[in-house]
Amino acid sequence: MKFSYNWLAEHIDGLTVPPAEIGKLITMKTAECEGVEAHGAHFDHVVIAKVLTAEPIPGTHLAVTSVDTGRYGVKQVVCGAPNCRAGILTAYVPPGHLGVTTAKLRGVDSDGMLASAKELGISAEDEGIIEFAEGEPGSAIPGCTADTIVEIDNKSLTHRPDLWGHHGMAREVAAIAGRPLNPIAADLPAGEPAVEIEIRDPKLCPRFSALRFENVTVQPSPLWLQQRLESVGLNPINNIVDVTNYLMAELAQPMHAYDAAKLQGGKIIVRVAEEGEPCPALNGQTYTLDSSHLVISDAGGPVGIAGVIGGGPSAISEATTTILLEAANFHAASIRKTSTKLKLRTDASMRFEKSQDPANTVRALARAKWLLEQVSPGIRLVGGLADLYYPLPEVAPIAFDLDWMRRKLGKPDLTAAEVTGILTSIAFGVTEADGHFTVTVPSWRATKDVSLKDDLVEEVGRMIGYANLTPVPPLVPSVVPPLPPERAYLRGLRQLLTAQGYTEVYNYSFVNEAQAAELGLPIEDHVRVVNPIAQGQELLRTSLLPNIKRNINDNAREYESFRLFEIGKEIHARGRELPEEIPHLAAVSFEKHGDGVANLFELKRLAGTIVPGCTLEPVEARPFEHPFRSANVTLRNEPIGRLFELHPSMVEVGRAAVLDLDLTRVQALRTAAGKYKPLRRFPTSAFDLTVPTAERELAGTVLGFIREHSGPLTLDVRYLYDYKGDKGRSMTFRITLGAADRTLTGEEVTAIRSQLLAAVAAKYQ
Amino acid sequence: MLGRKGKLAEVSKDMGKLSPEQRGVVGKLLNAAKQTLENALTERKNAFEAAALAARLEREWVDLTAPAAGAGLGSLHPLTQIQAEIEDLFVSLGFTVLDGPEVETEFNNFDALNIPPDHPARDMQDTFWLSNGHLLRTHTSPVQVRGMKKLGPPLRMIAPGRVFRNEEVDASHEHTFYQLEGMMVDKDVSVAHLIYFMKTLLSAIFKRDVTVRLRPGYFPFVEPGFELDIQCLICNGAGCPVCKQSGWVELLPCGLVHPNVLRLGGIDPEEYSGFAFGLGLTRLVMMRYAIDDIRQLQGGDLRFLTQF
Ligand SMILES: [Zn+2]
Repeated sequence: MKFSYNWLAEHIDGLTVPPAEIGKLITMKTAECEGVEAHGAHFDHVVIAKVLTAEPIPGTHLAVTSVDTGRYGVKQVVCGAPNCRAGILTAYVPPGHLGVTTAKLRGVDSDGMLASAKELGISAEDEGIIEFAEGEPGSAIPGCTADTIVEIDNKSLTHRPDLWGHHGMAREVAAIAGRPLNPIAADLPAGEPAVEIEIRDPKLCPRFSALRFENVTVQPSPLWLQQRLESVGLNPINNIVDVTNYLMAELAQPMHAYDAAKLQGGKIIVRVAEEGEPCPALNGQTYTLDSSHLVISDAGGPVGIAGVIGGGPSAISEATTTILLEAANFHAASIRKTSTKLKLRTDASMRFEKSQDPANTVRALARAKWLLEQVSPGIRLVGGLADLYYPLPEVAPIAFDLDWMRRKLGKPDLTAAEVTGILTSIAFGVTEADGHFTVTVPSWRATKDVSLKDDLVEEVGRMIGYANLTPVPPLVPSVVPPLPPERAYLRGLRQLLTAQGYTEVYNYSFVNEAQAAELGLPIEDHVRVVNPIAQGQELLRTSLLPNIKRNINDNAREYESFRLFEIGKEIHARGRELPEEIPHLAAVSFEKHGDGVANLFELKRLAGTIVPGCTLEPVEARPFEHPFRSANVTLRNEPIGRLFELHPSMVEVGRAAVLDLDLTRVQALRTAAGKYKPLRRFPTSAFDLTVPTAERELAGTVLGFIREHSGPLTLDVRYLYDYKGDKGRSMTFRITLGAADRTLTGEEVTAIRSQLLAAVAAKYQ
Repeated sequence: MLGRKGKLAEVSKDMGKLSPEQRGVVGKLLNAAKQTLENALTERKNAFEAAALAARLEREWVDLTAPAAGAGLGSLHPLTQIQAEIEDLFVSLGFTVLDGPEVETEFNNFDALNIPPDHPARDMQDTFWLSNGHLLRTHTSPVQVRGMKKLGPPLRMIAPGRVFRNEEVDASHEHTFYQLEGMMVDKDVSVAHLIYFMKTLLSAIFKRDVTVRLRPGYFPFVEPGFELDIQCLICNGAGCPVCKQSGWVELLPCGLVHPNVLRLGGIDPEEYSGFAFGLGLTRLVMMRYAIDDIRQLQGGDLRFLTQF
């Protein structure tokens, strides 16, 4: 929201704060100022000039002119405007302003510029150079002055309906500067209401006020009004519309002017729209409405979408001679819903959705009457004010004690007089006795913003200035809580992974449909984003792997070999309930050259480091896994993850082994160290056993078989090596035997060995 | 020479022919000669062995400037590092660390934080809405609600985590970033406490004395609400491009917990008050390492990540 310094200053009696400082003051006390910019500084230098001669430059659209600029003398200026001709009064910009320099155009010297209204920053008019009906060469452009524009962040005005107009901001600045605010008159002559009003649902429209005028002349506004609107980012249109926009920017009260001749019947009805009811709007669009939208209607149907936009057919045109001027108040949430649903954000809807003050409507109409009389000479009010008002429940006076305010702010020396002074300066009504306060809230703060004593802490605090509070250390508890076990575990895990050479990546929680499809993850299993604004955000990840795959291919372009990991959450849908979020680890070992076996075993070792005692069980590969290189990682027969090589068709180059662990399961299955086992006192015996097997027999299976058939005295079975020959594969194991209470005899060992040999021979020929 | 059939043995064989006196002299001489020879022999042997060892070791020359096999040390993501650092700082001040889900209910993310439906403040946070009727949390503030219910007053908690805004991504805007929510509820917690606490905390984070200032800021779940600025660490307040010549850098939103929020968390606002703040971890990381493109943090590029 842009504020004009000159405009603010008109509302404050004796403002002396210079324009350059006002932004900082507003930032520290009221709302965030995003910038302070000079506007129209050139108006101190631009003058009215008379074109004395204008000769076309052959072969161009340009003319060389001689202009009488009064204070700068007679100048030669080259001008390309179609309306440039001898005899007119226009605006002359001397070199050094608006980027104008002394130049040669098509070989002709040009000393300055003749300017359009757009170039001057008065309006959007750029058809030709500006023309004046009267004026002395050398005099300033009438009504136009140098100004300073203060831009305030809209977000910081969300809670302040009053600050969407200059008068409200002027109240703040006046309080900060310690100057009085000039009041706005709200007098209207009494008379028969000019129009009948019906409000069907007062909750949605607490107030509707209107005036009717006749003998209206629709014409461009005077330059001062155009410049002022332009300076705060509003486009001048015509004098009538400009007045409504001016008041919106001044009092934060959106208004609308109807061509009264185009309204049917003598009655305005505020009602919800019928299902499918069309409303042609003044932006040229026709909106199809439903019962969630509020409309202003005449006998013929909607003439405007309440609080959002006026209707097209009843808009002000050059032929308009009578107008109905509306100033109404609407329910904030309803306006917001409508403007969101229609995707139609207007200056009016933006203000109404902040909960505007119903008391403002009549004041705005009174001010509009005063202004219309200046910009449309001869205009006459017909009848009196039409005003239907269902007052909102009043905000109860707020009570608090001085001591409470002191404790909230942490300012023990705060005095009752300070509190009273501050609240009074921003128009709160204050009564105080012995530190007990009762405060009434002004209507423009009462719609939503202020209702609790806590809201007043902010008012007092900001006006005192938070820099004037002495920082106080809070009490520190003597008990320091431990880091939660899950967090401590993940921290340790991350340390372990980096120590093993893995670098941490963070990926998004999103995947796109193509990524999910590529890995064969069912699209319908995913929680879907309903309003993604960018590609790649359609689904929430049910696996870390789609993004990990992308990491692999991206980094394979830069590295011969690398290791990376991510710890992140899989998000699994649970119907309408919040989804299950499961932390997972995905670790990758990549090698551009080689057969990939070492990477798999490196990750197997990593799995054993993270989950001691885990085993691998080969399983059928998923489509994105190497069909002969994938296994479940299990602990005590519970699957806790997966180890596999990414299908070579999924990597552009090289081999990537991936370990994917479900960290919730890993943590759940962790066991604390129990009682220690006494060290063995008697020696052990060992023997080696070679088992001939089929070529693709699994070492783990054979080892399990041996363990199963070697009896209770077996302490350890260890795979030593294998040999692959023509007939298949033979594996050699070392079996270690021992008893806790004695040394085994040779006979015992031989018996166990023979028994085992027989079992092995029976199973593996 | 020294063997059983060696020359010295022959000499000693003839010893019997000598007189006892002569035998004593020759015996001594013989022993001395034997000793000398034996010493010489051992010496030679040792020399040969030493030379052989030296030759073997020489052949075992290794180029220790060659790279070590296996993996070097990996790196932790800078966000992980800063998060751990800040968690430790808070834990030492008595704060409990809490976790919240990435997918939140609309109620916890908005309503419980005093942002009812159709409140314009909902526009301040562009939201990813989900097919299951929920949303991706737009801030870590919902964990306040969970924390109040879980811990009860008085309480001190932080909740670091991933948050989402439905925004276009460019060098300075991300749809996914990291925040750390903090909350302290006790009797008589004041704005003056908040200022002291934030100054102390930020000085610890930036490892130098920082100057802070509060100014009004609107966040529906706090009242009063503040924007906290720190004096620019680049120019120390003199004005520079980083602080847009203002001398101050906007760092975090904070405020006293709104009584409605306390009430929804089951805490009586007449008895307790509290402050809350939201620290942007992504922002801190970018400031600390002078990272100029926010997208690198979640780009998975090891050339970037291995620098930390
Ligand atoms: Zn600076």
